[in-house]
Amino acid sequence: MILENQTATFNLRAGKKSTRGTFALRLTSMIDMFTILLVFLLKSYSADGQIMTVAPDLRLPESTSQAKPPVVSVIALTREWILVDGRPVQRLDEIKDDNKLLIPSLQSELTRLRQITEGIGKLSQEMRGFSGSIAIQGDQDTTFDLLKRIMLTCGRVGYNDMNLAVIEKE
Amino acid sequence: MNLKQSMQRRLRGHADETDVNLTAVMNIFLILIPFLLLTATFMRIAVLELTLPSVDRSNRQATAQKPQSVVLNILQIDEDGFKLNSPNLKFAKVAKANDEFNWATLTDQLERVKEKYPDTEDIIISPADAIRYKTIITVMDHCREAGFPNISISG
Repeated sequence: MILENQTATFNLRAGKKSTRGTFALRLTSMIDMFTILLVFLLKSYSADGQIMTVAPDLRLPESTSQAKPPVVSVIALTREWILVDGRPVQRLDEIKDDNKLLIPSLQSELTRLRQITEGIGKLSQEMRGFSGSIAIQGDQDTTFDLLKRIMLTCGRVGYNDMNLAVIEKE
Repeated sequence: MNLKQSMQRRLRGHADETDVNLTAVMNIFLILIPFLLLTATFMRIAVLELTLPSVDRSNRQATAQKPQSVVLNILQIDEDGFKLNSPNLKFAKVAKANDEFNWATLTDQLERVKEKYPDTEDIIISPADAIRYKTIITVMDHCREAGFPNISISG
């Protein structure tokens, strides 16, 4: 009697599909989820990938700017180091207390970089030579006095066109 | 009562007749979603362009070609607040409130400068030494939104 009752409820719950012998999966909620995911991913899709890589140990500030980063050399300003194209150039605590504005090690590195790019530009017309533009990635808590020194050093070498790297805000 | 019955009948009939074949949709989803997930970039990098107020030759030529009167807008920022200097416009220093800069007032003042000199697009930001980089970026954002895209920074 109990057994009979159980079969009866089971049949009732399974509905008429069970008589057909096959399952019909309920996919509605899954498709809902997929659709939302798909729309979100398509919205955030960009065909041109990441051109610029961010140095570790720094957090870029957020901005509403949407300009794409150009392909240029990068000065990264982390909490401890100044890096040029990923190579450490200067420890920050070594230059914190000198009262000059120019950073000599950065200047010599940038001068070397400028000579290399100028050399490449002379080799062939198709190569891009020295354009005077450089990108700066600064940690968002960097103070302006350091930034000022970096900018002055860049300007002294001839890199007058600076691109400040930021994270695009939504 | 009658309505309820007919509704029920309609619903039941609906489940009986239409059985959408979702296999193709699922196939598309199963291919597209892993692909998009792999290529998704959740942090996009942009740049803010900045020109030095420099003695560079190309810059000087560019300004020499523009005969219109140059309006010198200078925005000074320090730890206590900011002060906008524009010719023939007097703005008082705007102090920080609750450790936050008063961005609404800044936008307001920039708009008044824009009303007075609609052609001008240049502004010079002059932050104090202790101002943080993210503050400078936020100030630049506000200046750009108020219609001053040519931003220079002077120490």
